[in-house]
Amino acid sequence: MFLAAISPMDERGASPDAALVRLLLQNDVNAFEKIYDKYCRIVYSLVLRIVQQSGPAEEVVQDVFLQLWRNSAQYDAARGPFAPWLLTLARNRALDTLRLKSERQRRLENQSDELFSVVVAPQYEKELDEKRRGERVRSLVGELNPQQKRAIELAYFQGLSHTEIAAELKEPLGTVKSWIRNGLIRLRESLQAAT
Amino acid sequence: MSNCDQFREMYEAYALGALDVPERDALEAHLATGCAQCAKSVAEARWLVSQLAYTAPEASPSDMLKGRLMQKVRSEAKSPSHTAPPTRVPYWLAAGIAALLLITFYTSWREHQAREELRASNERSIAHMEEERAAVQQKITAMEERMAVMRRENAILSDPAATKITLMPQKIQAPQLVAMWQHQNGIVVTGQKVPMPSAHHVLQLWLIPKDPGAKPMPSMTLRPDENGRLVMVVAHPPDPGGIKALAITEEPEGGSAQPTSAIRWVGAMT
Repeated sequence: MFLAAISPMDERGASPDAALVRLLLQNDVNAFEKIYDKYCRIVYSLVLRIVQQSGPAEEVVQDVFLQLWRNSAQYDAARGPFAPWLLTLARNRALDTLRLKSERQRRLENQSDELFSVVVAPQYEKELDEKRRGERVRSLVGELNPQQKRAIELAYFQGLSHTEIAAELKEPLGTVKSWIRNGLIRLRESLQAAT
Repeated sequence: MSNCDQFREMYEAYALGALDVPERDALEAHLATGCAQCAKSVAEARWLVSQLAYTAPEASPSDMLKGRLMQKVRSEAKSPSHTAPPTRVPYWLAAGIAALLLITFYTSWREHQAREELRASNERSIAHMEEERAAVQQKITAMEERMAVMRRENAILSDPAATKITLMPQKIQAPQLVAMWQHQNGIVVTGQKVPMPSAHHVLQLWLIPKDPGAKPMPSMTLRPDENGRLVMVVAHPPDPGGIKALAITEEPEGGSAQPTSAIRWVGAMT
């Protein structure tokens, strides 16, 4: 799934990330290196968490950044911030690897999903650096109750559905749905309150 | 409950990818109707979900990964077309290319056809020229043979030493024929207003040996021309000493080994 986004930052003007991505269209290797240096750790951390092995994780990361380099025109800054788009791209690639999806299947899905999905950053969202953003999110997720956190992690890092999570945790389906929904709402509220 | 209310609890799970298929299909069908409120809520949920990436334990990729990646990117940067979207040939260009290919194919095919036609035409011309050449050669050969006969005829007729034999018609209304026998060049039999033999028949010359038991020796056959003129030239006849007479009969075309009809002309050697 391709995530574009509409954020307050973009409505005001081009974000630094969007400006760098635009330079990729001009074959600007330095711009690519800046983007890589800024996001390689969070992308790699996410992918490694999903695929669990460093070798395949690096392959996925390479795939993600090469897609950015080769198809930077896919990212539309007017439709949202860059980081969520990149992270969603990385998550989908990693989950595809986990499920052993074929390259052709992935491309078909990417074409249909990634180009048209939209992300809207809430008004309270600010342009935080990656380090501070990570610290804040980890802290807030850590405050969720263990069941909520576990159910959300199974969905996010393993790509499981409500039914699959219910089977995994041996809990009623309705309970799992509530854990996930309530956990995410609480996270959103916490993020809003922390801003 | 508004139509959107039934989807309100699905936004986060949808963004997370956790909805089971029937719920997901239902929400997507609703989004496809253009519901702006639900679309906005789903988009916000996507952003929220994307933040979960930061809960992954921090890790760093190897320096080798960056090295490989930058090497690849620098290499591709030298190629001006790397950022171009996947090749999508515009319709007009595709149509142009198709037309060009079609024209090229047609032109090649026509060229091939033209070459084949030219080759066949050349072969026909060559064959025709060969036939003409053969015909001319045949005429030349015939003329040369005719000239050789005429030279022989002249040589015989102009030789005062040649033996003259008069062939008298036998029981037919016809002029007499004259034969001149010259030992070196042969025999010439001539006549004017000679009656035309029957259809598919010719006049055949016979050499009658002196030996009483010997059979007549068949010689050449000929039909007079349309004016009744007859000129028979026999090259390389046997020794005239052994021949006592010349005779002519009417025989089927191709001649006969032995006379099959009565003698029309006969003349004794003198």
